[in-house]
Amino acid sequence: MNDQATNGRGLLEVEDVVKRFGGIRAVDGATMRIGAGRITALIGPNGAGKTTLFNVLTGFYRSDRGSVTFDGRQILGESPHAIARRGMVRTFQITKALAAMPVIDNMMLAAPEQPGERLRNLVLRPGAARAREREVREQAMELLGIFNLTDLAEAYAGTLSGGQRKLLELARALMAQPKLLLLDEPMAGINPTLVARLLDHMQMLRRDRGVTILFIEHDMEVVMNHSDRVVVMAEGRVIAEGEPDEVRADRRVIDAYLGEVAADTAVGEKPPA
Amino acid sequence: MTIDPGALVPLAVTLESLTDPDFWVSVGVLAGIYAIVALGLQLNTGFTGIVNFGMAAFMAIGAYTMAILVIKAGFSFWLSLPLAVGTSMLFGVLVGLPSLRLRADYFAIATIAMAEVVRLFAQNARELTGGNQGLFCDLDNPSNCYPDTWNSISESINEFVTNFWSDPPTLLPLLLVIWVTVGLATLALTYLQRAPWGRVLRAIREDEDAAQALGKNTLAFKLQSLAIAAVLGSIAGFFLALDLRTVHPLDFEPLVTFFAFSVLILGGMGSYRGVAVGAVLFWFVLEGTRFIDLPDPPFTETRIASVRLAITGLLLIGLMAFRPQGLFGKRQEMVLGE
Repeated sequence: MNDQATNGRGLLEVEDVVKRFGGIRAVDGATMRIGAGRITALIGPNGAGKTTLFNVLTGFYRSDRGSVTFDGRQILGESPHAIARRGMVRTFQITKALAAMPVIDNMMLAAPEQPGERLRNLVLRPGAARAREREVREQAMELLGIFNLTDLAEAYAGTLSGGQRKLLELARALMAQPKLLLLDEPMAGINPTLVARLLDHMQMLRRDRGVTILFIEHDMEVVMNHSDRVVVMAEGRVIAEGEPDEVRADRRVIDAYLGEVAADTAVGEKPPA
Repeated sequence: MTIDPGALVPLAVTLESLTDPDFWVSVGVLAGIYAIVALGLQLNTGFTGIVNFGMAAFMAIGAYTMAILVIKAGFSFWLSLPLAVGTSMLFGVLVGLPSLRLRADYFAIATIAMAEVVRLFAQNARELTGGNQGLFCDLDNPSNCYPDTWNSISESINEFVTNFWSDPPTLLPLLLVIWVTVGLATLALTYLQRAPWGRVLRAIREDEDAAQALGKNTLAFKLQSLAIAAVLGSIAGFFLALDLRTVHPLDFEPLVTFFAFSVLILGGMGSYRGVAVGAVLFWFVLEGTRFIDLPDPPFTETRIASVRLAITGLLLIGLMAFRPQGLFGKRQEMVLGE
């Protein structure tokens, strides 16, 4: 599956993507390549277009121009569910736990290839649906175990704390068997102990499951210590791309990103965590 | 057309009917019909999160398709039923394809508009539907008449019932058939809801974006939900036609859908069992209040009619205040779903 990485081609190749909202170019010709089996951090000041880019990549927004190749296929213009089924699965900046459903149902929902999601199968071969349900439940419980959520399996997702919801969303995304995970600020708003655990999970996923990860993050310490590559966006464009050390030393990054942060703090505005 | 006295019983306001089984059986028939409609609403609004204000249209299409096929085109009663269900389902899909892409509140507006279009069409396409005269049996050709077919079925059921009850009410067979249908539909829907299919619907209700991000084709699921509601609506529609023995545009006013919503809210969102209980409670309160003896003047007959609706409204308000999740709804799901 990962032979494309050895060929040196990216699992995800984004070229010249443009997304306009009226007169504003939220994403203005973004180009990047995400290597298979890597953990890539996407950073940039607020309003750089990171989340908008995520929305374009995952089909939630229609782009105005550009090309997105995932796993060797052009996916731009496909609907969100089709892209997710190809193996590009995202989480949201504000968690979307399905609040009035139990945690275990949140997990089992995400499993692909459930024949019981088709009405015809429920009438003609109910056994197939049940067999798959057993399989999926086992997988779900295993993942909940890894994420320390086993005791909460039967609780409504809406009763979980913010941090637990982040964990649930990540675990749920894994149930969808992704090749590429897009995580939108997975560490935002959770306590440091949980951040450490989430980072461990990310490393484990890449190592044990070969999952490629692209995540948006504001915490520079996390970015510099836990990612293999860093992509920097500013004003809708990718201004730098490389190893954490290279990016850290890049003049344009310091100007556009760190300079912005410094300017923000100077006027008394703290950038959100 | 011969008018069956049984069909007029709910309109007769007499105290004797308080103990009249004919009266209560006819109330039970209405409760059953609304239970079927509310089951469709439960599937759409309670479990999929799509607010469907157009159930009356599916009822109308079911009733009119059956009546037109039998009375005007000479089809057999039995053949007309699946055709009516199919027509209503197809209509549901055609309406849903563009409108289910709308946001929830705009979808609700689109459905009520659709229901009114259907009703006004029935009122004005006189050649086809009989317009404001309604559709009823052709006396010159009594063999092509759905009440006749139904009458003979009904009589054979009541003949069987006489083994236990010497003088059964005329509408008893209809009551039995309707409530068996309610039971079967409740079982089938509960099965679907507990299956993975139902889990996807609940996910759409909670957050459609999240469901899409997990690879679910949410539009397809919403269409299926609407199509099944259309089937239930059309079944309720031809039961109503059997009950009233005519098909008339006034029977499919938006009020029908809103009464069914009252049933749904009474029974509780997210519970199929609650629907049957809500339907019985709603209709027995609405019809039972006929017997409240108020002095005339000031309570003239028309004023009492308003008082009855007011009492039913107070019941709903009281329920919302003390048990907002309805009789069988889950409070936690309601609070968390916000």
